[in-house]
Amino acid sequence: METIKRYFRPEQLREFSLVFLIVAIFMFFGSQIQGYFSPRIFNRVTSDVAIITVVAFGETLVLLTRNYDLSVGSIVGLTAFFVGKQLSYNQDMLPLVALLLAIGAGTLMGLFNGLVISYGRVPSLIATLGTLAIYRSILVAYPGNKIVVTNDFPKWVLDLGSASLFSVGGFDIRPVVVVALLIFIIFQLVTTYLPYGRRLYAIGSNPEAARIGGLPAPRLVLIAYVVCGALAGLGGFMFMVRYGDLNTAVAQGMELQVIAAAVVGGVSTNGGIGTMSGALLGAFMINLLQQSLLRWLRISDFWVGAFLGMLILLAVTIDAVIVSRLRAIWARAGLEMRPAGEKSLVKEKESHVA
Amino acid sequence: MATVESKTPILQMRHISKRFDTTQALDDVSLDLYPGEIHALMGENGAGKSTLIKIMTGVYHPDEGDILLDGKPIRVGNSVEAQAYGIAAIYQEPMVYPDLNVAENIFITHRSRDLVVNWGKMFREADEILAQLDVKLDVRVPARGLTLAAQQTVEIAKAISLKVRVLIMDEPTASLSAHEVEQLFKLACTLRDQGVSIFFISHRMEEVFDIADRVTIFRDGKHISTAPRSQVTTESCIRDMVGRKIEEFFAKSKGQRGELLMSVRGLSKENAFSDINLEVYRGEVLGFAGLVGSRRTDVGMALFGVEPADSGEIIFGGQAARIRSPEQALRLGIAYMTEDRRRIGLTMPMSIATNITLPMLRKYLSRLGLVKPKDEEITAEQYRQRLSIRAPSVHEQVGRLSGGNQQKVMLSKWLNTQPQLLILDEPTRGIDVGAKAEVHHIINDLAAQGLGIILISSDMPEIMAMSDRILVMREGRQMGIFSREEATQEKVLTAAMGQNNEPKERA
Repeated sequence: METIKRYFRPEQLREFSLVFLIVAIFMFFGSQIQGYFSPRIFNRVTSDVAIITVVAFGETLVLLTRNYDLSVGSIVGLTAFFVGKQLSYNQDMLPLVALLLAIGAGTLMGLFNGLVISYGRVPSLIATLGTLAIYRSILVAYPGNKIVVTNDFPKWVLDLGSASLFSVGGFDIRPVVVVALLIFIIFQLVTTYLPYGRRLYAIGSNPEAARIGGLPAPRLVLIAYVVCGALAGLGGFMFMVRYGDLNTAVAQGMELQVIAAAVVGGVSTNGGIGTMSGALLGAFMINLLQQSLLRWLRISDFWVGAFLGMLILLAVTIDAVIVSRLRAIWARAGLEMRPAGEKSLVKEKESHVA
Repeated sequence: MATVESKTPILQMRHISKRFDTTQALDDVSLDLYPGEIHALMGENGAGKSTLIKIMTGVYHPDEGDILLDGKPIRVGNSVEAQAYGIAAIYQEPMVYPDLNVAENIFITHRSRDLVVNWGKMFREADEILAQLDVKLDVRVPARGLTLAAQQTVEIAKAISLKVRVLIMDEPTASLSAHEVEQLFKLACTLRDQGVSIFFISHRMEEVFDIADRVTIFRDGKHISTAPRSQVTTESCIRDMVGRKIEEFFAKSKGQRGELLMSVRGLSKENAFSDINLEVYRGEVLGFAGLVGSRRTDVGMALFGVEPADSGEIIFGGQAARIRSPEQALRLGIAYMTEDRRRIGLTMPMSIATNITLPMLRKYLSRLGLVKPKDEEITAEQYRQRLSIRAPSVHEQVGRLSGGNQQKVMLSKWLNTQPQLLILDEPTRGIDVGAKAEVHHIINDLAAQGLGIILISSDMPEIMAMSDRILVMREGRQMGIFSREEATQEKVLTAAMGQNNEPKERA
């Protein structure tokens, strides 16, 4: 039991239960919906999840520091629309340039968020609520007609969207999915193995201690927002590639899906708790449920918002009740400080020191 | 540490002054810290210890004066820079990151770590540091749920990993058990023997005598004395802390003690206070003296029902009373004016009038249940004149008034509930001398009108001058009640610091 507790944390338990839930959802709807295991649904879910998760990874960084970024939906929308416009004017633009343009635009918007919050001392909820509206308005006010359609794009954009890197009997692995997996691996490593990542946990865990205990919190939070913006920019590029048809409402409300993914995946809105793998699982579960329900009950898209809201409430309640209780059990066991002595590990270590 | 004087100081504070608004927190303070000494800092609340610490750790910046490290002047801009100089502090409430494990907590601020966290190595090094401190603690568990003592150990380990040279311990023992204090002292001595210099702040006289090599005493922001422990006695210590001059520009006119208003028997609350016994008479001011952490405020809040007591009985106006909520307390005729006017005492953006009528709003309703602003205005105007609140009108925002006038608004608000017992928690903290005298006059008047008053104050001269009787608390326990005649500052402070002859029984 001790060893279990030592290497196994309540957070991980939560992620395992998510995996279990996903499998259960899959089985249940598989038995209810004809052709559920078809390549079409698979391709659709994986592509959607890919976009949501990339943005959710950035959001998770911000949430870990006990802040929010509500503007990600607008950043995704504005970058997708803006880059789409540029491509429609300039068909010869290199794909890499377009990609960098998207990431650059997102980075700038994230930088603005971060500056206002870290150095302007504006509460993040208010600051990003403001930029949510501002970024969206810039998109609406963008000169020229208000839509970009598939035909406006150079051919490579559409090819990239439907391309398959490899495929097994119609089950495609799309480039967007590979990008999302790469980003996942990178940020999983960042949050586990980079001092920067660990410090984000520290800040969210006890902001007061960070302030007087010698962590450059404002700078670290700023970087989190910049990275979040950059990932939202990348998400915008993926969005454009995936859908092709863009209007002024692109990715509107995406912040809700993104935050839902993170929270359902176990990222705490009080900061300090959460993982990238959790966010990924959360995004996957939400999207799978959403797609399945749409097909099963033929519920209207309008209900999706309510549905997401309920999932968030459920996840937070579970967190408050069950996970925190588990955490208390974990904390209680064997954490008393003992003076060195007995037959402790410490004794062996002493010889090392000497 | 007899050889202390022969070494050169590691840290020198030279002519440090610091001013906040009207308060001179530090006035030309100079202080040396030698390598490998434990240097105790003592003084009453507000004597300037905390300000000095915050200057050393870069939280505040001195208005005047220099800090010298190894004889060279340094500028400590913030806590990160302080750490780089090898100056670190641990506080009464440890500042750990609950979601990170012990090893991470120790190493989180290291700048010179590897580019990538090597968990195995980190756990190993954390184990080594804890071994060096002679404690055993699983470095993989999250800091959440560790005992306070264990959390403090983590912080000390963190300081050591940062190659600390000057360690400041700000009342580290306040929430520890006797056994844990012993362990902490062992740890402090280990560190001293390894050459670390320690500033140790405590209100417990016996602890200071246990552990300190030298003792420095502050009073009213000034450095009073520094002497080796061998030359310091309890008496000299208290004498230096109290000083001789007592500012006597306020004094309670000896009132007429009326009938018994309230008596309290065996009032206790877990983790706060125990066995409080007192009587309050009409027309009398009962002072509550004690140091920070003596839990006087908790007793006040219990009597007002904010944080009700667990056990004990209260007789109010001749009848047994149960006080479980502020509403019940108000109905009995008890009002409590908080020490924290900014956060919970007043609604800063609202007007004087709306603040005053807030607890009694039901009295200002028309038949339709709407508030009648005219009535509010009349009441507020009465108090404005009675307490001479200086404001252009009763519609002025409270947040724009001076501290003293805010205090009067808060007082009006509670007087308007027509209390029989008024509990005043630090009614003159942070207000200037003139306003302070006015508040004292008001307290006198109220007592003369037959109210019973409990005055909680950390301002020793104020307590001495204003109270008919003084109840002294220390760490949640009642140390005694002194009458005005028998109370002296020395006696009160001695009781507040626990220098009586009862056996030690901290569990």
